[in-house]
Amino acid sequence: MKKRIVGLLLITAMVLSVFLSACGGQQSSPPATESEGQEQEAAEPIKIGHEVALTGDASMWGQSEKNALDMEIEKINAAGGVDGRPLKLISYDNRADAVEAVNVAKRLIEQDKVVAIIGPAQSGVANAISSVTEEKQVPFIGTTPTNPLVTVTEDGTVKKYAFRTCFIDPFQGTVAAQFAYDKLEARNAAILYDVGSDYSSWLAKYFEEAFTEMGGKIVGKEAFRSGELDYRAMLGKIKQQNPDILFIPTAQKEAALAAKQARDLGITASLMGGDNWGSPDLITLGGSAIEGGYFVNLASLEDPDIQDFVKEYREKYGADPVLPNPVMAIDALYMLIDAIKRAGTTDGPALAEALENTKDLKVLTGILTIDPETHNPLNKPAVIQQVKDGEFIFVEKYVTK
Amino acid sequence: MFLQTLVTGLSIGGVYALMAVGYSLVFSILNFSNFAHGTIIMLGAYVGYFIISNLKLGFTFSLVGAIIGAAILAVLNVKLAYTPLINRRASSLYLMITAMGVSIFLENMVYVTVGSHFYSFPEIFKQTSIKFFNSDISPLDLWALVFSFISIYGLHLFLTKTKLGTAIRAASYDMTIASLNGVNMSRLISVVFILAGSFAGLAGIFLGIKYMVYPTMGWITNKAYIAAVIGGLGSLPGAVIGGILLGVIETFVSVYISSTIRDVFSFSMVIIFLVFLPAGLMGRHLEEKV
Repeated sequence: MKKRIVGLLLITAMVLSVFLSACGGQQSSPPATESEGQEQEAAEPIKIGHEVALTGDASMWGQSEKNALDMEIEKINAAGGVDGRPLKLISYDNRADAVEAVNVAKRLIEQDKVVAIIGPAQSGVANAISSVTEEKQVPFIGTTPTNPLVTVTEDGTVKKYAFRTCFIDPFQGTVAAQFAYDKLEARNAAILYDVGSDYSSWLAKYFEEAFTEMGGKIVGKEAFRSGELDYRAMLGKIKQQNPDILFIPTAQKEAALAAKQARDLGITASLMGGDNWGSPDLITLGGSAIEGGYFVNLASLEDPDIQDFVKEYREKYGADPVLPNPVMAIDALYMLIDAIKRAGTTDGPALAEALENTKDLKVLTGILTIDPETHNPLNKPAVIQQVKDGEFIFVEKYVTK
Repeated sequence: MFLQTLVTGLSIGGVYALMAVGYSLVFSILNFSNFAHGTIIMLGAYVGYFIISNLKLGFTFSLVGAIIGAAILAVLNVKLAYTPLINRRASSLYLMITAMGVSIFLENMVYVTVGSHFYSFPEIFKQTSIKFFNSDISPLDLWALVFSFISIYGLHLFLTKTKLGTAIRAASYDMTIASLNGVNMSRLISVVFILAGSFAGLAGIFLGIKYMVYPTMGWITNKAYIAAVIGGLGSLPGAVIGGILLGVIETFVSVYISSTIRDVFSFSMVIIFLVFLPAGLMGRHLEEKV
């Protein structure tokens, strides 16, 4: 069933892209938007590439990401730039498409001679461009590619030029487990996950590990197959164990259904999930059953640390930033500036080394330390949200131990 | 634990039975598996959903609207797609392939016009559970189970007590002889599809409320098809028994063995039945089945 949906989406995308390219017949090169900071004649600007989806399905986040970076770079340049040199952001549209993203990366590196690339936001796209960046020795800092394999290869060796500012998917399982044990004082947990999804299986595994490590007990771990809609058999089994918390690391549709069926069966445990829950669909589909559920997210508009940024953004663009991409991109920008300062050069290998050794750096969303083994942020603060009165509310920012 | 599993299994089985009845009705007359039945169920659910959420007419209208809507669609389906083939005396294999085509066509029409979005019915039944001998059942499940049995029993009365019902039963034994005895075949087929469509609308509403409404929801009917095979294709009591049996067995397999091998088990059952007991538990026909 999933395959059918994916197939259909692919066909639609193909038809659309043919249609779109036919419409924009005159434009031979992809639309490029260059945002120039304050011109300073004396110093050569530091060019930063930006891989972003400005058109297509992901453009909502991409546009906001570009706006945020433009705003931040303008501020930095007004304050004198980095080591006396202004920054120049070169944003190209990759349409969240892997092939297009490789072209964009080549163009940024070969023609524009950027020192590093911020973005992309999608795991598949980030994986595709890492072959280019490894070869050309130019680092990239992904904004929201959360798949573990973006920065390390299958056999576990780290990709020297691949970085990111978001935490990886499985880490959410750790966050959820520690939060449940620590703050919700849960001691018995049950897990219901989708055996057909990597995301779900990894979150379940990390949750189980972290929860038992803290001294909690996993009283039930049940799986279903992607596309299934009835989980009452598994939930019935879970109910017998009477857990304090039920962790459902699935997409919003399955989570909403599982919540409904759990409540139907009389399960009263608190519900918890991952960032996939953060879609309004969860509430429309889950209704009152999902009320009170907690989930881990990358960012929230109500996060106290980013209030200044949100205010500035609203003043400048008259709209809310579309999270999490803008804040992750700004984290990446800070991380890059810090590395340039420490490296004292914009040379690729030296810059990559400096990025790798990022430690206790104050960035927009908190304190950033990069794990040299995996190039993922270490103990990055995660946002815990809750469903309350049919809305997502900010509970707290949780840092794992 | 045992009782809870049984109750859950019964309520899942009730929905399977409701869907299997539609399959068996068509099979008993035209001797082919109407794979478009699942799509009609899906469309019925959409009709019901839009009545309740866009027109805001309440649950009764939504239920009636879905039943009528699905019945109309089922009749259109037979008039436009099957009748030309039946008139040419095409083999039932071609009818089944046409049904698959209709199903894929309609499903994609929904993708194009309504989109792939998931819809959920507004909460008609409060999210509570009824205690029942130390096990829980939701009001919706209880209601669906009762309603399914009432409507299936109603269908049974219609088939046994009315003239039209007798004609349908006669035709299910032998179409040629029934028509020689003055039964209007094209009208009879329409009636059968109206009945199957009504059951599809009813099943659609229940599935929509219980789960959600989306273009591929008709694929759950794979399970109803299995139920119909177990019970014996073409047999109404068989469809009901097959549905209940499948729901209960599936739930027990997921609880006591493993939830991940549940479907492996269900589909193995079909193969075993088709090989060793092709007529199912209650089936009479032993002729070619497609």
